[in-house]
Amino acid sequence: MAQKITIDPITRIEGHLKIEVEIENGKVKNAWSSGTMARGFEALLIGKEPRDASYITSRFCGVCYSVHQLASSRALDAAFGANVPWGGNLIRNLVMGAEYIYDHVLHFYQLSALDYIDIMAVANYSGNDKELLAVKDKIVGLVKAKDTYPLTPRYEPDEFTVKDPDIVISAVKHYIEALKMHAKARNMGAIWGGRTPHYQNIVVGGVTSYPDINQVARFRTMLDEQAKFINKVYIPDVLAFGTGPLWPLATMGVGGGHYNYMSYGDFAKDASGKDLVFPAGVIVGLNPADIKIDAVDQDKITESVKHAWYKENKPVHPYNGEQIFKLDKKDAYSFVKAPRYDGKPMEVGPLARMIIAKNPDVIGLVQKGAKPGAVARHAARAIETRLVVDACYNWLDQLLTEMTKPGFKIHDTEHWNPPESGMGAGFSEPPRGALGHWIKVKDKKIENYQAVVPSTWNASPRDEQGVRGQYEESLIGAPVPDPKNPVNVVRIIRSFDPCLACAVHIIDPNTNEIRKFLIE
Amino acid sequence: MNSKTEKTSISEDAGEENISPRKIIILGIGNLLLSDEGIGVHVANELLKMDLPPEVSVVEGGTDGFRLLNIITEADRLIVIDAVRGGEEPGSIYRFDINEIKNVPTGFKTSVHQVGILEVINLSELIGKTPHATVIGVEPKSLEMSMELSPEVKAKVPRVIELVLDELKHSA
Repeated sequence: MAQKITIDPITRIEGHLKIEVEIENGKVKNAWSSGTMARGFEALLIGKEPRDASYITSRFCGVCYSVHQLASSRALDAAFGANVPWGGNLIRNLVMGAEYIYDHVLHFYQLSALDYIDIMAVANYSGNDKELLAVKDKIVGLVKAKDTYPLTPRYEPDEFTVKDPDIVISAVKHYIEALKMHAKARNMGAIWGGRTPHYQNIVVGGVTSYPDINQVARFRTMLDEQAKFINKVYIPDVLAFGTGPLWPLATMGVGGGHYNYMSYGDFAKDASGKDLVFPAGVIVGLNPADIKIDAVDQDKITESVKHAWYKENKPVHPYNGEQIFKLDKKDAYSFVKAPRYDGKPMEVGPLARMIIAKNPDVIGLVQKGAKPGAVARHAARAIETRLVVDACYNWLDQLLTEMTKPGFKIHDTEHWNPPESGMGAGFSEPPRGALGHWIKVKDKKIENYQAVVPSTWNASPRDEQGVRGQYEESLIGAPVPDPKNPVNVVRIIRSFDPCLACAVHIIDPNTNEIRKFLIE
Repeated sequence: MNSKTEKTSISEDAGEENISPRKIIILGIGNLLLSDEGIGVHVANELLKMDLPPEVSVVEGGTDGFRLLNIITEADRLIVIDAVRGGEEPGSIYRFDINEIKNVPTGFKTSVHQVGILEVINLSELIGKTPHATVIGVEPKSLEMSMELSPEVKAKVPRVIELVLDELKHSA
């Protein structure tokens, strides 16, 4: 008989997410992903001056502010007819590059690693490394005080958990190093953004402030330090785990899903804009032996609200989207809408980008037997971090060259004023995946505004046809031998790096519990 | 060059006056788009206009949470301004040191948003740089989507600023 488990909230993610799974014969038979915070910040934008959009949307989320500022500015670029000079695009790219560096490293060590290692092995540490002893004391102290947050909630170690004390202790050491690197990396974006958090520099037409040579040098010095950690610690750790203790999970393809992938494409390598670090494309039903990639046509994007707490509507393109809540709706179970491309659910994010780019390292892992799934997602994330680091060096060199050219520009000042009317879409590929903003301008004011964020694609509920979203599908078949210990469920969900802080927002402070388990 | 650096005297006796002053950070957090949730942001923006001692920095932290680590680890003394759900009348003001509530096992509901300031402070301990942290919190009335504070909470902004300035006096 099937047994239903509810995990609410999923912790160590950004935002609020509830996952329900039905277990039969030790495996997930059915799944529901539910964003439990109401969304709809877009309504605030209607009637406002269009240029305010890049500032207001940057407040959607405390995590991805620059990401929204960029997508919003690109939507405005399109609506205003602005052409961002290459100098402006280089600085926009460097801001986003820094975003990748701290997001991806943080995700692996602080948000995910505890799903794969038995942290309590630290209690047996008998060496004399001062920092590790401090960690040991802290963890033992927290356990005694029954307050192991942020290391908990944790599930019981299973057959895939790394219990070898040497590996665990080395991982914990890197966890602490990653925290230090993270605190430093946060200041990289501020070099261009003027402050942190909530940078101020990305606007319609380009960026607001001319770079000087010292900023370039400071960014490069900080990048050197981060690159060293990424290349010598982060990537080797991910690959050592992925091809070592976690290889069985990788070859089982736990967390696969629909095998549909989408990337809007981002990060021009040079002024021509033809060659991208992350190419655009759509894959429907991946065949690893023969990867077929279609071009993205944004007209094919629609959002279904059949299973979301919004007023009934047929699936519409984001230009025409609305958010009128309807909480007593039959069949609804999420505040997240269901975006579809040509009617199909898509996975967005690092794995999608690396498969669409036909990245040789990721394809190589697949050829060795790793199936696209939770472990491959971590590997893709690490590998693409290196691509972004390399691109940052390239952009810094190009920026120095641009700065010496007469008439160096960072902004299209001709198109600063809002048009009477117009519309525009802005796309980007922030760390978590494909992000789109759509704006309609009428009488120089915002007439409609919609954002479809990466976690909306991945965390979506079922659509008009009842087809599951990507999280839901990726859970099907996952081994859960003990319903009280659904560690594979959280491994799969966290491998996507969920961020629902903007997809939705808290409405009920009473759900602010560490963990809640319902077994019916 | 800033004048403070020029004034620093050098003496062979490393007396206290040569140690860099304690760094005090005032951190206003919250979501500006959810009315009273943004109280910390509104207060920080007011404090940013004021002339404060050089060792004091005001940071408007939005809802950055986990990623405020760089700011927290720079501080010797941290004063956090935030919306706090304590169940009292809207506009009620709370003050507590992080240490006073840190070991409450069920996770004290400090904040109505997902900032997880306790989590960040915990993490700062792991890298050995934990400031003495105090929270000044205001009970929200409205968490509706709006960029304005409710009248009840807005009326308390001057008082919260006074309390922050008091903390600075005691921290000096």
